[in-house]
Amino acid sequence: MSQTTLASLKGVRKRFGAVQALDGFDLAVNRGELLAVLGPNGAGKSTAIAMLLGLQSPDEGEAQLFGVAPQEIDARRRIGVMMQEVALPAVMRPQELLEQVASYYPVPYDIDSVVARLSLQSLMKRPYGKLSGGQKRQVQFALSLCGRPELLFLDEPTVGLDVQAREALWKVIRELLHEGCSIVLTTHYLEEAEALADRVAVMARGRLVTSGSVEEIRANVSHKQVSCVSRLAADTVRAWPEVVRLEMERDRMQITTRRAEALLVRLFREDPELADVEVRRAGLAEAFTELTNEKNKEAS
Amino acid sequence: MSATVNMPGSRLLAAYLGEIRFEFIKALRTPQFAVPTLFFPIMFYTLFALALGSRGGGGSLTSFANYGVFGCMGPGLFGFGVALAVERELGLLTLKQALPSPAGSYLIARAVMAMLFVGLITLMLMTLAVLFAHAPLTLGQATQIFCVNVLGTLPFCAIGMFVGSLVSGQAAVAICNLIFLPMSFLSGLWFPIGILPKFLVDIAPTWPAYHLSQLALRAVDAPNSGSPAIHVLALVVITVLFFILAMRRLQSGGYRLLGARPRRTLAIVTGTAAVVAALLFAGVFGGRATDAASAATGAASAATGTPAPESPAGVAVPQVVELSNFDAGSAATAYGVGWGAAGDDMRGGNSHATQQLVDGGAGSSKGALEVTGAIGDGIQYPFAGTMFFPQGPPMQGLMDFSGKKTLTFQARGDGRRYMLMVISGLAVEGIPLMFDFETGPDWHEVRLDLAKFGSVDWKRVRAIGVGTMGPVGPFRFAIDDVRLE
Repeated sequence: MSQTTLASLKGVRKRFGAVQALDGFDLAVNRGELLAVLGPNGAGKSTAIAMLLGLQSPDEGEAQLFGVAPQEIDARRRIGVMMQEVALPAVMRPQELLEQVASYYPVPYDIDSVVARLSLQSLMKRPYGKLSGGQKRQVQFALSLCGRPELLFLDEPTVGLDVQAREALWKVIRELLHEGCSIVLTTHYLEEAEALADRVAVMARGRLVTSGSVEEIRANVSHKQVSCVSRLAADTVRAWPEVVRLEMERDRMQITTRRAEALLVRLFREDPELADVEVRRAGLAEAFTELTNEKNKEAS
Repeated sequence: MSATVNMPGSRLLAAYLGEIRFEFIKALRTPQFAVPTLFFPIMFYTLFALALGSRGGGGSLTSFANYGVFGCMGPGLFGFGVALAVERELGLLTLKQALPSPAGSYLIARAVMAMLFVGLITLMLMTLAVLFAHAPLTLGQATQIFCVNVLGTLPFCAIGMFVGSLVSGQAAVAICNLIFLPMSFLSGLWFPIGILPKFLVDIAPTWPAYHLSQLALRAVDAPNSGSPAIHVLALVVITVLFFILAMRRLQSGGYRLLGARPRRTLAIVTGTAAVVAALLFAGVFGGRATDAASAATGAASAATGTPAPESPAGVAVPQVVELSNFDAGSAATAYGVGWGAAGDDMRGGNSHATQQLVDGGAGSSKGALEVTGAIGDGIQYPFAGTMFFPQGPPMQGLMDFSGKKTLTFQARGDGRRYMLMVISGLAVEGIPLMFDFETGPDWHEVRLDLAKFGSVDWKRVRAIGVGTMGPVGPFRFAIDDVRLE
C-alpha cells in the first residue's frame, strides 16, 4: 500500500461555544486504504470530517485535502461525499439527482453503469421523496461515487439498510477499494469497521486515542472474553478481582478479563464441572469500549 | 491519477446550466411555490383588471404593468427566500458545499430560475392583455416591459435571500407573505397610489416594488413619476444591500456560496450581470436618447457623490395674472399655446370632447369656454376635456409656475364632478395632480392654493387640463377667468 497522504488534519483545534469539539486532533488518510473513524457520540467525528470537506475551518492547526485547503474546488472534484443528515429535494428523481451531481466532476462515471452496479434501475424514475429510508441511502451512496472519486467520505452509509442491502453495499465498497479508491468511513456499527477497514482511528473527546489495523487495535487491548457454563453464582464470580465484567446470556457466563489464565484456574478449582469453555481475544467492540472508557476516565 | 484532473470549460458551463435546469424543474414540481407565483398575478389581473375593470377599459397598460410587477415579487421572495431557508435546514446546502458544485452556482441557478418564472408570468400577462383586453401594446413596449420585469426580479431575490439566511423555512413563508402583500398594496400595484393617505404616499419610495412599478409603467408609456435613473439606482442599492447582508449572515453560518474565492466569483458574476443589464437597459431606454443621457448623468453623479446639475426649469410665467378670460372670441391664452379640446384616443380610448366659445361668461363677462363630449369605455382611466399647454409641442414645453401662489377659475356644468389636472415634472408620463370640483347651473369659483400640492413640480408644468374621467356618458361644462396669482 502506497503511503501517499490524500487528506490530513494536523493539530486541529475547534471550539463551538463551550464545547471543545477537536482538541489537537491528527489524522491522515492514505491512498488505497479504508480508514474507519470510530468514537462515541460527541467524540468529534463529524467535526473532523467537516474539516476535511472544507465545511468548517480549524481554529488552530491545518486541514488539507490533496495537498491544498479543502475549500479549493479542485481538491473537492476528487472526492465523493455521502452525508448522514441531509434531505435531498423530494420532487427530484434519482436519475436527475445523479445527472446533477455527476455534472460537477471532470470525468464522472456513466450514470447507467453506476445505477446498474448498485441495482437501482427500478428507483430511477420515482420521486426521491417517495423512496423508503433504505432506498434513499442507496441513492445517496450512488451520488457519492458517481463522480469517479479518488477519495470517498461515507458517513454512516448503512443506517436504515436491511441485511441484504448492507451486504451489497459492502461488496461495492470492497470493489471500489480494489479499484484504488480510498475511503473514510464513519460508523456506529463496529462490525462494519471490522468487516471493511484497513485501519481504524478511534476518537474520544476531540482527540485521537489510537489508530492501527483492526488486528493491532484488538491486540493492544488486554481484555479477553471467557464464555462458560457454570454452577457458580454470577454475583460470586463477579466479585473476583480477575473479573472486569460479567454478563449472563441465558445460562452462559460472558466474562471480560485481563487475566484469562488465572481466571480459568480459579473457575476450574471452584467448579470442577465447568463446561463449554471458550476463550477469545476481545472484538473491536470490546476494544472500543475499553479504549474510549479509559480515555474518558483519564479525562475526568 | 495523482495530477489534478482539470475541469474542462465546457463541462463547467454545462454544470452551471444543469444547475439552472434542475432548479427550474424543481420549482415547477413544487406546487405550493409554482401555483401561487405563476397564477396569482394572472388571476388577479383577470379578475380585477379584465373582469371588474372592464367598464373603465381593462386594456389599460397601467394595470398590465402593475400586475407584472406583482408577478416579479413572488418568484424572488418565495423561490429564493423560502427555498433557501428550507434547504439550509435540510442540510442540502451543506452537501452542495461539500460536493464540488461550481462557485456561486446555487445562487445563480436560483436567481435565473426566478427570472424565468417572471418571464413566463410576463408573457402570460401580455397574452391576456392583448387577446382579451385588446391592450394597445406595441412590440417595443412588450420588449421593454419584459426586460424591466425580468431584471426587476433581482431586488426581490436579494430580499428573499436575506430572509432565507435568517430564519427557518416555516418562518420564511410567513415573513415573505408579510413583505409581499403589504408592499404590493403600498406600492400602488392594485390601486392607484393616490387613494392612500398622504404619509403612505410619502413613504412609497421606500418600497422596491414602487420603483419597479414606475419603471414598468414607463416602459409601456403609462403615467408614471420620478426619474428612471433614480428608480434604477434605488433598486440596485436595495439589491446590493440585501445581498451583502444575506452573504454575511450565511458566511457566519459557515456557508461559502461563492466558493473559495468569493470576491473573484462575485466580480465575474456582477460583471456579467452588469453587461447584460446594461444591454437590456440600453434596449429599454435607448429609444429615448435624452432620457438615457439624463439617466446616465444621474447614475454617474449618484455613484460619485456629486450632485447632478439642476435640470432646466420651465420658462418662467410672465407677471400677467389672467391666463384667459375668453372674452376676445378665442381660446388663446396670455402665454402658452392656448386651450384645446382633448379626448383619450391618443391613449387608445374612445372618449372625445369639442370646445366652443359661448356668450355669457362668469360675472356677466362677455364670453366663456364650453366643453362638450362623452366619456367612453375604451380604457381604464378615460379622460376628456380641455387642455392648456405651455409654449412648445404639447407635453414637451415646460413652464415655471413656482412664482405663483393660487390658481383660480370659474366653472359651471351639468352637475357632474369635474377635475383640474396638472401634469408636471421631467418624466413625460408623471402622475398628474387631479383636483376634483363640483359643477352646477351657476358659475362658482374653484381655487387651488399651489403650495398645498407638493407632489406637483410647479417649476416644470407640462399641461393644465380641465375635464372628467367618468362616468361613461355625455358631459357639458364651461370655464372662465382662469387666473394665476
